[in-house]
Amino acid sequence: MPFTPMPPSSPNRVKDFKLPTAVLAAARINETELLAGCFDGVYRVNLEEQSLRKVGQHTSYVSSVAVLPQRGQYLSAGYDGMLHWYDLATDERVRSLTLHDFWSWDMAVSPDESLVASVTGQYLAGGYKYEPAPEREPSVRIVDVASGEMLHSLPHVPSVQAVAFSNDGQFVAAGNLMGEIRIWNARSGEQVATWTTPDFTSWGIIKSHCYLGGIFALRFTPDDSALLMCGMGPMHDPMAGNGKQLWQRWNWRADPPTKDDQTHEGDAGEGLMEALAVHPDGSWFAMGGRLRGGNLNVGMFGISDGAKVGSIKSGYRVTEILFAADGQKMILVGGQGQPDKDKDGRIADFGRIEVYDVA
Amino acid sequence: MHRRLFLEGSLAAGAVSMGSFSALFSAKAMAEEVKRQGKKCILLWLCGAPSQFETWDPKPGTETAGPFASIPTVIPGVHVSELMPQCAGILDKLAIIRSMKTEPSEHFQGIDVLTRGDGPRPPFTRPILGSVVAQQLGQLDSPVPQFVLLDPCPEGNEFKSFKAGNWAGWLGAEYGPVRAGGEYSIPNILRPESITETDHADREALRAFLSRKFENDQASVAAAGYNAAFARVKGLMSCAPLFDIERLPDDDRRRYGPGAFAQHALLARNLIENGSTFVMVANGMPWDNHVFQHEMHQMLVPELDNVIYQLVSDLEQRGMLDDTLVIAMGEFGRTPWLNDARGRDHFATAWSMAMAGGGIRGGVVHGATDERGFDVASDPVDNRQLFATFFTALGIDPNAEYDLGDLPTFHRVEGNAEPITSLLTAG
Repeated sequence: MPFTPMPPSSPNRVKDFKLPTAVLAAARINETELLAGCFDGVYRVNLEEQSLRKVGQHTSYVSSVAVLPQRGQYLSAGYDGMLHWYDLATDERVRSLTLHDFWSWDMAVSPDESLVASVTGQYLAGGYKYEPAPEREPSVRIVDVASGEMLHSLPHVPSVQAVAFSNDGQFVAAGNLMGEIRIWNARSGEQVATWTTPDFTSWGIIKSHCYLGGIFALRFTPDDSALLMCGMGPMHDPMAGNGKQLWQRWNWRADPPTKDDQTHEGDAGEGLMEALAVHPDGSWFAMGGRLRGGNLNVGMFGISDGAKVGSIKSGYRVTEILFAADGQKMILVGGQGQPDKDKDGRIADFGRIEVYDVA
Repeated sequence: MHRRLFLEGSLAAGAVSMGSFSALFSAKAMAEEVKRQGKKCILLWLCGAPSQFETWDPKPGTETAGPFASIPTVIPGVHVSELMPQCAGILDKLAIIRSMKTEPSEHFQGIDVLTRGDGPRPPFTRPILGSVVAQQLGQLDSPVPQFVLLDPCPEGNEFKSFKAGNWAGWLGAEYGPVRAGGEYSIPNILRPESITETDHADREALRAFLSRKFENDQASVAAAGYNAAFARVKGLMSCAPLFDIERLPDDDRRRYGPGAFAQHALLARNLIENGSTFVMVANGMPWDNHVFQHEMHQMLVPELDNVIYQLVSDLEQRGMLDDTLVIAMGEFGRTPWLNDARGRDHFATAWSMAMAGGGIRGGVVHGATDERGFDVASDPVDNRQLFATFFTALGIDPNAEYDLGDLPTFHRVEGNAEPITSLLTAG
């Protein structure tokens, strides 16, 4: 059996950096620079110099960013439904496109940098028990990166909160509030798989008769045979936020798709998980989010056996996980609770970026 | 009288009066009494506490704004959350208070204060707003319940465990609500098929005669309570269709929207149209968004926006708005800052509520918060002023003293609180 390197069970933090507002998304520009999508705009962050520069703005929160090194560009999408293109060298905004009437919840770029997919959808009451109303606009948009042309507008049930491309760029997957996953051929727009996992969605038995939760992140496994997803297990009181920190791995090519694995008993605590990243060597993945109960808010798991191999208790909500190209470092971004103003009326910085040694 | 029964609110209504009632025989008071006849109230009880930032008091461009934009309204210079486009169009019919400043920041205490008008003073139970309005403006001999609570999610708030006395307090159990909504249906109001209508009437006549006789002979408070309960059930049997959402016109049901809260708001309109005096529409505690604040408010606020719009428009179209006070509020507001679970926490320091009709002047925005919503900047309003405004709008003396015999002195609103006159049509 080949040797499979695993991270240390408790990785060491080697950098800690604060931003003015919570970081909802990040992408690596190079070994020292990050692009961060925050409540208040897009920042270029130099981790070595511990410096930052605001380079972009949406009229609401920035929900996703992506770096396209081959094209010399980067992208940002936001809760204003917009997609912006920027020149990587000059930071000049070179194109904007209205993707959605509502938020862009999540945005992803195909590995060859030719396609960008974004998902939207406002959860509105559609029934007596607050079943989601049908979409008012296409929930999934696929756009040609080079021309900005809208290639496909694909249907789903709002709210659609997570999107991912397969590693070969052929497929795009989107997951929603109700735990329904749809996968399309990214080029043709043909739907190739759909199924529902009920394990991420709460219907409030107490306090509120409505739906809450859903799938918050998706990633294909390195060979594209399976789809990883994460969120939070069901709760009786959806306002408690105490559902199980949950990931699942589905064989999406089976007919019907089958659940192969999920968070092992005792391997996680409580809280919403909203970030997934597969280590560059493909042997393990990390899941991150919020700690509501238990001992971790970032867990590292073997990709083949699902066993927990490491964990971090960061003390803030993790919204995105990145790896250095060589896999030696893991980067966490997110936000602490927004503090009350201090006596001078200033709100202290509450965005966080941390770097951990996982070699 | 048994003291415990009194304290639990089981006192018969006849034993309670207001000190100011003696004045009813003056011409002025009589005129006022006549004037207030027909006034009604619908309380959209937004339990859990909605965010003022995502409803009536947006703070665009600030750190506390959240992800939603603000939009202009028909009142120049006044903006509301983009989640409320329909209310923005009828803001000239609504009154907004942006400067609510109250004490309790926990639910049960906040619910107590904002549904009763004042904090608890154990062991005495101050009657809830609906009980006071039902007692003052309702018709006890009406078969239609005067105080109705529509709430399909009883586990969601403290109301599940409430007995009649918890609602009506010292006014007496008959002023407690009839409770319905969703699976919380009114039980046993259909006559069994095995009993003919004549038999049923004969049995009821015999029961009424015997128990009334016992009540009179023994001066029995308990028997009086039972008689009131029987009378209520008898009335309910005759008006059960009023509680049936399925009987409401399809077009109305579509307009109000499919969710339980919206459907019950329509039912409230139907009950008010048909003789109820106070209907409280709740839906558990859905606004308590310590997690997923924006994910929940994106659904809850548009539903509220539409419900207020439809209710106010319907009442106006029917010529009922001037006599029907519509109130939309929770027990406090939400924090300007977000916690790490994407939620806003409890905030009683500076929050908002809305009203329309029933003696309230439309197009008024009362008070203001500071630039980021951390505190009230002008014209703070507390629970007492708010309740004084409700009562005055409905033609009820807010400062009247309850006549409770040897027990401590209580007023309908304590502290000689004055109503906010700028919000009153008669102000």
